[in-house]
Amino acid sequence: MLGMWKSNAPDEFVCIKFDMEISEGSSLSDVASSTTNSSGRRQNSAEVKEGQSFSMCKRLVQMMQGNIWISLSPLGFAQGMTLVLRFQIHPSYGRAVFSPGTSSEQPNSNPQFRGLHVILADDDHVNRMVTKKLLEKLGCEVTAVSSGSECLSALSSAENSFILVVLDLQMPEMDGFEVATRIRKFRSRNWPLIVAVTASAEDNVWERCLRMGMNGVIRKPVLLQGMADELQRVLQRAREQF
Amino acid sequence: MDSVVLLQRQLVDYTAQLFNEGFLDDQFNQLQQLQDESNPDFVVEVVTLFFEDSERLLNELAKALEQQSIDYRKIDAHVHQLKGQQLQKVCIAFRNYCEERNIEGCQKCLQQVKNEYSLVKTKLETLFKLEQQVLAAGGSIPWPM
Repeated sequence: MLGMWKSNAPDEFVCIKFDMEISEGSSLSDVASSTTNSSGRRQNSAEVKEGQSFSMCKRLVQMMQGNIWISLSPLGFAQGMTLVLRFQIHPSYGRAVFSPGTSSEQPNSNPQFRGLHVILADDDHVNRMVTKKLLEKLGCEVTAVSSGSECLSALSSAENSFILVVLDLQMPEMDGFEVATRIRKFRSRNWPLIVAVTASAEDNVWERCLRMGMNGVIRKPVLLQGMADELQRVLQRAREQF
Repeated sequence: MDSVVLLQRQLVDYTAQLFNEGFLDDQFNQLQQLQDESNPDFVVEVVTLFFEDSERLLNELAKALEQQSIDYRKIDAHVHQLKGQQLQKVCIAFRNYCEERNIEGCQKCLQQVKNEYSLVKTKLETLFKLEQQVLAAGGSIPWPM
């Protein structure tokens, strides 16, 4: 019943066609009968009204650059209705969110992460590689650095300020707390957003991070769902503050 | 056709075994989830990197323990970098020995860690080899499981 084909305009439009079958006694035949002769007088006004509603539909559809028509049986009864709608295709930017991958689920194809610029700071080679891939899978644009000082210079050379920093707390030369303190000192209170990553299971890590001006905390091991949930929460909070 | 099914079976069974024995965990599943067309060898790359890093770390540890005057803080920092659920107990013991400046204890732990890494490496190499065999026979890998 549902068919789709591309129009001649390359890559600009797609047309979707709905084919509907009208069975006997369905109300669509009443709609269609405005174009055929009616039998009783009592039905007249109802038919006219319904005829009008069909015309309105037709008008709306045509304004949407589509079309709608009734196909008649040999005996003049409506047997089908066809609706065609045309949609413009928009180029998709951002990565990996809606692309099929070998994994059958994309649990976090969340449009709000698409194009989000993330600076990832982690001194551990393996962790950096995995977390970067994880963030890219969520749709983020990731710049990965291996130290606190690299993180600060990446921030200062960033083009815009809509950035989220994912910061490993346990880095050797400059730990995450110090990085956060410096970021908050020299930049605005709200941007960039900072999310800490820690292996610590201590209760007061959360408080300590918040006091330092961070916006979120993720516990290791970092998993896709955990990261997605915390990022979502942090972004939501940020939106509420504006 | 039969050989592919047989190989796939082997792969599935072996993977399940590794999970049961604690050599693989959720993080491995996640690695598979992150692997896709843009990065078809992601799992192998990460695991390879992990073992390269670990080997370097273990060598540093061995060297540090051979010094005339041992820098226990440095050793402790290295131990802190060791990853692996199964190693937790050994690492705790290792760090305790560092605090006590017990060189024999440290060396014993180091050997335990080395053995464990060696074991995991062998198991994973076997796993990847099985994977290759399945692919070579024309089958597909039944990830994630």
